[in-house]
Amino acid sequence: MADPRRYFNEIELGEEYESPGRTVTEADIVMFAGLSGDYNVLHTDAEFMKKSIFGERIAHGLLCLAIQSGLFSRATAPYATLAFGGLRWKFKVPVKIGDTIRLRAKVIEKKDLAKPDRGLITLDRTILNQRDEVVQQGQTDLIVQKRP
Amino acid sequence: MTASATYFEDVVVDKVQLTPAITVTEAHVAMYLGVTREMSMGSSDIPDVLPLCMAIGLGWRVPDPPMVVMAFVGLDWKVMKELRVGDTMHSRSRIVSKRPMRDGGLVVDERTVFDQHGEVVQQGKFTFLVAKRQKEASA
Repeated sequence: MADPRRYFNEIELGEEYESPGRTVTEADIVMFAGLSGDYNVLHTDAEFMKKSIFGERIAHGLLCLAIQSGLFSRATAPYATLAFGGLRWKFKVPVKIGDTIRLRAKVIEKKDLAKPDRGLITLDRTILNQRDEVVQQGQTDLIVQKRP
Repeated sequence: MTASATYFEDVVVDKVQLTPAITVTEAHVAMYLGVTREMSMGSSDIPDVLPLCMAIGLGWRVPDPPMVVMAFVGLDWKVMKELRVGDTMHSRSRIVSKRPMRDGGLVVDERTVFDQHGEVVQQGKFTFLVAKRQKEASA
């Protein structure tokens, strides 16, 4: 049976991926407020936000972080991931309703771990909007299985 | 104090606050996957970013009035342990540092997510840009 997942050994340093775009809608923000419980006025009060420096509601930073995670799985074949290790992340530009974001990712580090069946892969990830502005940027650490 | 908001000046370094707990259900996972279209990663039945998202919502459910967050600036996060459907998580916030800026100030808030056994599931630091009182007195 063909296993579509890519193992640690097969993922090469410097590999780059670019995802399709995804338009962030009001519905996404409303659903994410409900899911996360984050009802901060930045995301939920249209009248208050008209008077803010943003001029309108903005998407939760974590919504876009979560969306890029989904975009990653549309950008490349799945990794044989055992666990998500962590991330270091910067939120640079707000995402507004109707903005279209996409992910650019690059493998910047591969490291063996104490357990011989797995390794650590660090990806540099950049979320861009429709104006090619860097919206969010950071690194994520994935613990990926080696081919058995 | 009857303030309805916590401005930069009101933020107290080393202050610790605990949130209520929430049981992570299949419905949360389904909603999360619907919004993000994330494929299941790893062996856990809960996507690893979901507890982080729920931790930020829980963070508002504390006795202190909410911080007047102008922007979420950065995040350092580590995943220590898998959470599973049916587990009940809560989070603890500790203000690590605050630094005034021209507009507002940066506040570093260490968040720790625990499961029902009191074990640390995820932990990291949020950096927020918080408004100063003078600037947003009418908010």
